[in-house]
Amino acid sequence: MIPTHWFLILSAILFAIGVCGVLTRKNGITIFMSIELMVNAVNLTFVAYARQFHQLHGLIFVFFIMAIAAAEAAVGLAIFISLHHHRDTIDVDEANLMRW
Amino acid sequence: MIDWTDVGLSVLKIAIILFFMLNVTPIMVWVERRGSALIQDRPGPNRVGPLGLFQSFADALKFLMKEDVVPSQAHKWLYTIAPVFGLIPAMTTIAVVPWGRAFRLPSGRLFEPIVADLNVGILLIFALASLSVYGVTMAGWSSSNKYSLFGAIRSSAQMISYELALTLAAVSALMVAGSLRLTDVVWKQTGYFVLFDTIKIPAWNAFSPAMWLAFIVFSVSAFAETNRLPFDFAEAEAELVAGYHTEYSSMKFALFFMAEYMSMATMSALIATLFLGGWDVPWYNEPPTALGFALSALAFLLKVGFLLFVFVWVRWTIPRLKYDLLMRLGWKVFLPLAFVNIVLVAFFIVRGWI
Amino acid sequence: MIEFTVFFVFAAIAVIFALVVVLHRNPVVGALSLVASFFALAVMYVLLEAPFLAVLQVIIYAGAIMVLFLFTIMLLNLQHREEPATRPIQQFLGYTSSALFGIALVYYLAKYAVLQLPSTPFLSDARRVGVTLFQAYVFPFEAVSILLLAAIVGALVLSGRSVTQS
Repeated sequence: MIPTHWFLILSAILFAIGVCGVLTRKNGITIFMSIELMVNAVNLTFVAYARQFHQLHGLIFVFFIMAIAAAEAAVGLAIFISLHHHRDTIDVDEANLMRW
Repeated sequence: MIDWTDVGLSVLKIAIILFFMLNVTPIMVWVERRGSALIQDRPGPNRVGPLGLFQSFADALKFLMKEDVVPSQAHKWLYTIAPVFGLIPAMTTIAVVPWGRAFRLPSGRLFEPIVADLNVGILLIFALASLSVYGVTMAGWSSSNKYSLFGAIRSSAQMISYELALTLAAVSALMVAGSLRLTDVVWKQTGYFVLFDTIKIPAWNAFSPAMWLAFIVFSVSAFAETNRLPFDFAEAEAELVAGYHTEYSSMKFALFFMAEYMSMATMSALIATLFLGGWDVPWYNEPPTALGFALSALAFLLKVGFLLFVFVWVRWTIPRLKYDLLMRLGWKVFLPLAFVNIVLVAFFIVRGWI
Repeated sequence: MIEFTVFFVFAAIAVIFALVVVLHRNPVVGALSLVASFFALAVMYVLLEAPFLAVLQVIIYAGAIMVLFLFTIMLLNLQHREEPATRPIQQFLGYTSSALFGIALVYYLAKYAVLQLPSTPFLSDARRVGVTLFQAYVFPFEAVSILLLAAIVGALVLSGRSVTQS
């Protein structure tokens, strides 16, 4: 049996990599993929704790997170497509119309 | 410690399944060419061996010896790996399908003819089928050819649309069995429906009225999932050259070819398991002996063979569906029908008629 | 023994492909590496005795969401776009702060999050998850279905061209 804190450490590493992607990249799609990576790291934490405490609620929550992440991906990519139509770029630094 | 007999039996089962899947392609090539010739009232290949039976050897030799042309603008890695992504789901999804009755070996051990009897059996098939979309997409994109990309986008959009109808239609068969394991699905179909107190019909899901819609939706979606006519607009010869595998030659094309036939075989095996009773020999209670196992495996093989012939038959009979009609059929007709069927089966189960 | 090997191999795969996502220029390579990372995470779920969630992860994340990403990247033809390099100060600050964050998290987890596993196995097949979902969580379930409907409508409205454009 693999101790739970190993899974938590793996989840922390993936989360940190996701944070690095969001902070460092300019390509909107890559930032979005880093966000998905972070969500998956959190999913791993939920499942690890669900097994630790023998509760199904962790698994149910992961189920809902997956559904919501799917909805978020759909809407977020629609926003990026719309940005591409109007500005012909997906560089997030170019979406600066509302900057003061 | 490791139970070596178990490992040995598993290796034997994997070898049998692998043998079956790898042999499906040459046999289906022959069946396709002679079958299409039969339907089109012409002789078909009859030079290479008696009845053209060695035509597949000639084809394999041709594929192995052809020059492997790689387009210069192609993305090297993805171009090479795309056929592998098409092949792996096709070869591994058959692992959860039971192909015979479990029987007792002389040592008392139960031999279950299924490579991986997972608790979430059928979901593995859907998971790996979703991965096959990547093979198509990567093949089309990495060829850096407009027609390939176009064909790949159409083909993958079609596959992900019909996956929904496929999954929901399968849910009705799973509701009846009350379990996700395909062995349970088949065991539930080994009984009999008794009509008018005299006629005994095998309790296959295809024979119960609540599941006719699901049977039709599943079978037609299986055609769409494997990109076979009448749903192969994405690789239509006249419109798109050859769709997503235009730029592929020799062995890589052969891998796509094999992947298509193997996924046809897996889909036929799934239709047989979910709706036609799997390994159940009709009107005969197979005993858990080697004879029962052999008869059940033969019954399974006959069902899968018949369904594969139906795949070929439909290909050369029905014209191709236009792309927007195809998508409309998937979303506006099959998805609602699958939902209706789920409600219907739930109603039947609650009333106790199934 | 085998479990530990599988854990290390697939954890390494998940981390390496996550790094490729974050560091590689080409978004298509990034998307496919993310698929590989999700697959490795699905193996992690199997190790955590949640096979139902593992297949769900492959079906939903690797099989649907990432296909959506790939479609968007291919349709917008984004692979030929040269992304200008991020400003050096942003890169430096981003890398160091995320590295510090990661190291701090890992350190504190290794120090304080060590727990003993219970001895009984965890029974989490699809039937139990389904029963809990439809008994205790039926309201969030229905709410999520309405949310998905809103997302579909929103995606259609946002990505369609406006009628005033030619």
